[in-house]
Amino acid sequence: MMQPTLHSTPRPRDVLREQLRVTGSALRLPFLVPAVLLVLAALLVAGLTDARSPADFHPESQMLPGMLGLVLPIAVWRGERHFGAGFLWTLPVDRRRHALAKVFAGWAWLISLVAIFVLWLLAYTLVTGGKVQPVEALWILPPRPFPAHGLVDPATLRTVHWTPEPLFWLVPFTAATGTYLLASAAVLGLRHPLWWIVGIGIAIVALDGVGALAHAPWLRMAPGRVLEPLFYGPYGFDALLTARIQSIRTEATLATGESVVVWRTMPDLRLWVVATLLWTGGGLAALWAAASRHGERRPA
Amino acid sequence: MSRPTHPDPDVDACAVSTHGLTRRYRGVTALDRVDLRVPEGAVYVLVGANGAGKSTTLRLLMNLERPDAGTAEVFGLDTVRDGPGVRAQIGYVPEHHDAGYRWMRCGRLLRHAAAYYPAWDPAYADHLGRAFGLKPDRRVGTLSKGEARRLQLVMALAHRPPLLLLDEPTDGLDPVVRRQTLALLAEHLADTPTTVLVSTHQVYEVESLADHVGVLREGRLVAQLSRDELRRTVRRYRVEVPEGWEAPPGLRGTGARRSGTGREVQWTLVGEEREVTERLALAGARVREVTPLGLEDAALAFLPEEGPR
Repeated sequence: MMQPTLHSTPRPRDVLREQLRVTGSALRLPFLVPAVLLVLAALLVAGLTDARSPADFHPESQMLPGMLGLVLPIAVWRGERHFGAGFLWTLPVDRRRHALAKVFAGWAWLISLVAIFVLWLLAYTLVTGGKVQPVEALWILPPRPFPAHGLVDPATLRTVHWTPEPLFWLVPFTAATGTYLLASAAVLGLRHPLWWIVGIGIAIVALDGVGALAHAPWLRMAPGRVLEPLFYGPYGFDALLTARIQSIRTEATLATGESVVVWRTMPDLRLWVVATLLWTGGGLAALWAAASRHGERRPA
Repeated sequence: MSRPTHPDPDVDACAVSTHGLTRRYRGVTALDRVDLRVPEGAVYVLVGANGAGKSTTLRLLMNLERPDAGTAEVFGLDTVRDGPGVRAQIGYVPEHHDAGYRWMRCGRLLRHAAAYYPAWDPAYADHLGRAFGLKPDRRVGTLSKGEARRLQLVMALAHRPPLLLLDEPTDGLDPVVRRQTLALLAEHLADTPTTVLVSTHQVYEVESLADHVGVLREGRLVAQLSRDELRRTVRRYRVEVPEGWEAPPGLRGTGARRSGTGREVQWTLVGEEREVTERLALAGARVREVTPLGLEDAALAFLPEEGPR
């Protein structure tokens, strides 16, 4: 019997190119919705030209890119049975590399969309006569507990002039990347990611209920003690999403009765860099672990 | 009587060889120490009841599942250590009819598959697509079971793989398309040097193509032999027996039927004809007629009479 000629595996760049194409096709519908919304918003801006007020360029305070990164993996993995004998795994590519190539392809599209969004914000700023690098006067609260229901004495507020460094323009990209990596790890590594989310929610409610029944306030506060630093701490999730701008900026009522935007502290570039490295590094590690669950030498 | 399984032919000449391949699901053994040998260029039919382990065997060869014990090789490549290399040699039609991405159009899915197989033959893919009546604009999710199966067959054949793993390939096809599919498969085998490992309940469909048979029973490979060996060693015997006759122990057979008087028994028995005849004679029976069997009937001789086959 003549020895058959063995076939070669595809080149990595061909796999990556095909994943970019196929992921683009899979994302076409989910992309359409934000695209239509952007066009509608642009038309609205054009229609309200007379009434518009100058809008300064603040891509760092936008939560949309981070949120998009959280949901996009669902669209990237649409129709893929990644647990079991899914179509993806029948193809002649190392399973872990293949999964990572798909994640990378989704990320490339995500970053493209975020870039369009940031350019749209820039265009909006220019159309409305806003400033790209504004000098802003921030009112900083005194370093003592912020009165929850009380009035703030205007004399205690410190005024600081701040111009966001251009590095903050990267926040939408790093936020989208960090959340995308974490969500991709969940979608790829868990059989039922939604069950986990719902389960954690139920556990928090159950803790609250048990704490109330047992008259144990510490039990009721336990989830908050864990979640608050995780979301709003110096290196919390908000530091990744908006460089903490959403959590350090708040509204306060002055003693004069006027309602104003005040800041608990100044936005800190260093904290944002560290938080981004932590969350993105964690996301990469989680993604590697998730992809390894599908590796060629995974456990039986 | 010797067991008609030959686990030690020249492994180098095997397209597929497994060594003690074992797979368990939550403590239940689906595949038990299977030593499969599929010679290069053969059309090997894997026969067995539902749940016998046929589909599991094919999934293990694709490394879609991992074995609990044992190893498997395809053209000398280990299925776990060199999974991508192994899958590059294989055209796979799975048991299920999930042809790929439901949101994708058929033509796009074929182009997607083409990107993964450097040996993809676009002209041949077009030819197969036309022969199967596939419409490139149809969405995969809207295909019927039969149409999805045809799409899977095009994807499996169009890169002219050295090995085809076909899991119930005609399942879901109507009789006309089934015949057409088998004709295309025969044409493919004539044009392309290919080894085929096909799992099927409809052995008669591939009878004209098959040259080796393996029989799985409850996860164990109970028989593995060439078509010629099967025809030679599995035969129907018409035997005249004395009143109250008891069959000698150790005879492997199935489908024993006594005549109305109880003096004549028709029986499918496994073993060399001379040996079987001698044993029957020693037990007091007289062989009146021996007839060869078709592939399906011969393969079924290794399966239990009761229960589904």
